[in-house]
Amino acid sequence: MKKAEMQIPVAEKSLFSWVFSGNMKLQVLLIIIILITVFARVLPLEMQKRIVNEAIRLKKIDLLLLYCGIYLVAVFASGGLKYLINILQTVIGQRATAAMRKELYHHILTLPLSFFRKTQPGMVVSSLVAELASAGDFVGMAIAVPVTNILTLIAFAGYLFWLNPLLAAVSLSIYPIVLFLLPMLQKRANTENKKRVDTTRKLSSLIAESITGIHEIQGNGAYHIENQKYDNLVNKLTKIRIIWNFYRFGIKGFNNFFNSLSPFLIFILGGYLAINGQLELGALVAFLSAQEKLYDPWKELIDFYQSYQDASISYYRTMEYFDLLPEYELEPSGRKPFDLAGSLEVQELSFEPESGIKLIDNVTFSLRPGEHLALVGFSGSGKSTLAQCIGQLYKYTGGHVWIGEKEVSNLSKRDIINNLGFVSQMPFIFSGTIKENLLYACSAKIKEDGSDKDDVMPTLDDMIEVLQQTGLFVDVLRFGLHAIIDRQKNKEMGNQLIRVRRKFHLKFGKELSEYVEFFNENNYMNYSSITENLTFGAFGQESFSDKNLFKNEYFQNFLSENELIDPLLNLGAKLTQRTVDILRNLPAEEMFFEQSPISSEELSEYKILADRLKKIDLHQLSSDEREKILKSALRFTPGKHKMVALSENLRQLILKGRKRFREKISMYFPGAFSFYQRSDYIYNQSILNNIFFGKTKTNNPRIQDKIYQSIIQLLIEEDIMEAIVNIGMQYNVGSQGDKLSGGQRQKLAIARVLLKKPKILIMDEATSGLDNKSQARIQSLIETRWKGKSTLIAVIHRLDIIKNYDKVAVMKAGKLAEIGTYDELVESKGMLYELITGKK
Amino acid sequence: MSLSPEKNKECQACEFEENIEILREIYFFSGLPMEVLKVLAYLCNRETFKQNDYLFQKDDDDSQAFYIITGKCGLLYTNRESELLIREYGQGEFLGGLALLGNLPRLYSLKALSALSCLILDRDKFSRAMQQFPELIPKMFKGVVRRIYAWENRLLVDYSACCESCKELIGVSVL
Repeated sequence: MKKAEMQIPVAEKSLFSWVFSGNMKLQVLLIIIILITVFARVLPLEMQKRIVNEAIRLKKIDLLLLYCGIYLVAVFASGGLKYLINILQTVIGQRATAAMRKELYHHILTLPLSFFRKTQPGMVVSSLVAELASAGDFVGMAIAVPVTNILTLIAFAGYLFWLNPLLAAVSLSIYPIVLFLLPMLQKRANTENKKRVDTTRKLSSLIAESITGIHEIQGNGAYHIENQKYDNLVNKLTKIRIIWNFYRFGIKGFNNFFNSLSPFLIFILGGYLAINGQLELGALVAFLSAQEKLYDPWKELIDFYQSYQDASISYYRTMEYFDLLPEYELEPSGRKPFDLAGSLEVQELSFEPESGIKLIDNVTFSLRPGEHLALVGFSGSGKSTLAQCIGQLYKYTGGHVWIGEKEVSNLSKRDIINNLGFVSQMPFIFSGTIKENLLYACSAKIKEDGSDKDDVMPTLDDMIEVLQQTGLFVDVLRFGLHAIIDRQKNKEMGNQLIRVRRKFHLKFGKELSEYVEFFNENNYMNYSSITENLTFGAFGQESFSDKNLFKNEYFQNFLSENELIDPLLNLGAKLTQRTVDILRNLPAEEMFFEQSPISSEELSEYKILADRLKKIDLHQLSSDEREKILKSALRFTPGKHKMVALSENLRQLILKGRKRFREKISMYFPGAFSFYQRSDYIYNQSILNNIFFGKTKTNNPRIQDKIYQSIIQLLIEEDIMEAIVNIGMQYNVGSQGDKLSGGQRQKLAIARVLLKKPKILIMDEATSGLDNKSQARIQSLIETRWKGKSTLIAVIHRLDIIKNYDKVAVMKAGKLAEIGTYDELVESKGMLYELITGKK
Repeated sequence: MSLSPEKNKECQACEFEENIEILREIYFFSGLPMEVLKVLAYLCNRETFKQNDYLFQKDDDDSQAFYIITGKCGLLYTNRESELLIREYGQGEFLGGLALLGNLPRLYSLKALSALSCLILDRDKFSRAMQQFPELIPKMFKGVVRRIYAWENRLLVDYSACCESCKELIGVSVL
């Protein structure tokens, strides 16, 4: 079964292939239940007949009770079984949807890159999420509905024939007519439906156009022109919709009409037969109710037919779109993945995509294992494409690429990922931690069963080494320093950090005092929040935590008693309005919210609050809303949140409040706060703030570097640097890595490939987004650590870093213009010389 | 950031609004609607520098633009240990707009000639903000192109044919 599935690509599977695949047992069970149900449905009819003919006519109470009992049981049973069928049907449908979604997604990820260039992500999303659902539902029904209803129909029809063949034949004669006429009507309805879809699309693009060009419409006063276009389309759509519905209801009405025609036939013919004594009265009653019961299964079959039409249209439309084959096998068939040598041979290579333009034209060169090649040339010369062809990202259309004497186009993806590392120009970072991203390439190497995990996965030391090599180490250390450590888990670390704090103040306190605002009992701290300024301590009880403080009754009373509540609410209201005004339409990217007292998740509720504040007064707000405003005010940090200012008056009130708060808390809630002291670790502040015993004031990268350099020294002395880097590796990089800078993302992408230690490394302008220093660092890493060990093909834009490469190849218009050592090429005064001097 | 506390208070009363006013005056941003200016004014930072601090140095890729609020700084060309002062920038001047648009390792150094307070915007923030308003990017490019054109036009007016060897180097506006 599994093998057969592997052979037929998911996009070519028929809709019906999903009906049994993976659901065999459930479907068989379903059919058995259906058979019982059908029997339970026919039984009451027979009972009905016997009640009239035997029990009532012969006036036998015991028979009446018996037949009625059986009737009741049958009704119960068929109701209960129907429920069971529905459940099974849902389970099968959902499983089919899930299987389709999974298989299609797995398939889509393997499709050639060229496919994605033409495809909108939204299209893939809606295909996977919405379109397949109706097909899945249909699969759920595919057996249950037709089998149930056809069997029911046959059972009732059989029963009718058993009662009276002539009458049965006459009353069933309408169905062939319906079966003949219905598809014709449906076809017309389908045609109208397609027209409807097309016109609706036209309408929406017209609306989009006029909204985008609204300034032009208003500027020219061209309302009537646009109105006319729009009105015409609307009218057309109205007509189409009316006709469409005309057919749809026509089908229903037509069906109903024929169904109600058949009792008429029964009365005429059955009545005649009964009068003549050829038919018992009980049989006529049974006949009538059996005939009536034909209606439901029939209607369900018609509905089934319609949903089949809809489902197959959406299913095949979707699948058609993805009906492409991956260019390479994922796993090698019938052999182990190759362990390739690092030599590279490119011969008469060309690449000509469907557009018909040769992007790579007859390129030939070779590299020995461990040799480094720089690929240069103007943008558009094909150097990236060449690298991508070698890396199996594009399938070359002519010539050969041999890696370790194996033709690349014949290798499986697994062979490639085991031996080759690729860093792209625009590396992508996935949501998760630094560590997860760092291990991304290595994890992909692990076999599916995880058997070789220990061999493939790097150690912590390996990871730290790579972080250092790529220059990410300080960044990760920084993330670690900004982390808040857990009181329970890290007691020892707290003590070590206090020692670091002491040394920091001794050695650098004076020098850095200008850039760090130290915690000081007597000063207002501009880089700390109002909460921190008021409490000047770390909470020890959950009811006083940052999450709960604004709701805390004691705290609220304290604010009122000290005349703080009104100024704080005023501040919070202003803060809310200003912040919402700035951030209202920005996406939930971390970067936009760094300088905001309102987080991206909270923005929507504060939007509502800001709108309320426009209409009503502060004191008219509900207590919930006032608390929200208080919450934002308590977070306000003048040095960070620049949208409002803190008045001198409030500043003094808070400073006064700080003293009072300490007195009161010490008296009534001892232990609720541990007040900041030089000798204590503060567990609700970051490691960095603890070392400072304060907060940094500067964003200037030069000064920050200076501060971190001084701290690193102290951390090494205390031997906790690795521990902090390890904490830093747990840092969550955000969706698509949006909490990292562009440079950090690129370094992370290089680090994750280096960690894999590939034999062949392709870097497609991998360092172009980095600053000079980082670029130089990676360059020297390549020269010292990788030369002679890994074969490297580096696509390079900047010409000042290629001198030390073993070979330089210059591309022009898809052709290899020249190749040789840097000195040779410069001497020959060819293309490279031109490029260099032209640049300079 | 090292402003004395008293001074800080005054400034903070209006920092965000001040930033908006500043951005409106700069050619680079002046074409942008208020909605965008607000976002950029919010994303800006203020920094202070001591005399002789470098704002950036040759080969740095700091990708920042500076507006000088108070003080003076000098653009230096570093050539084999010697520093040549190209020109001075003072209060109200803006520089570094091109660094917001793309990678631009510095060819010069910028050094504070007195205590200096600047408004700074960096490329990462700027470009992520502008991604939200893609329709405005062409507008911004127009401003830059006009500026480059005006620059070279001015150069040609002053240019005298005596500098034969410079001839090769002019013509940046026909790039």
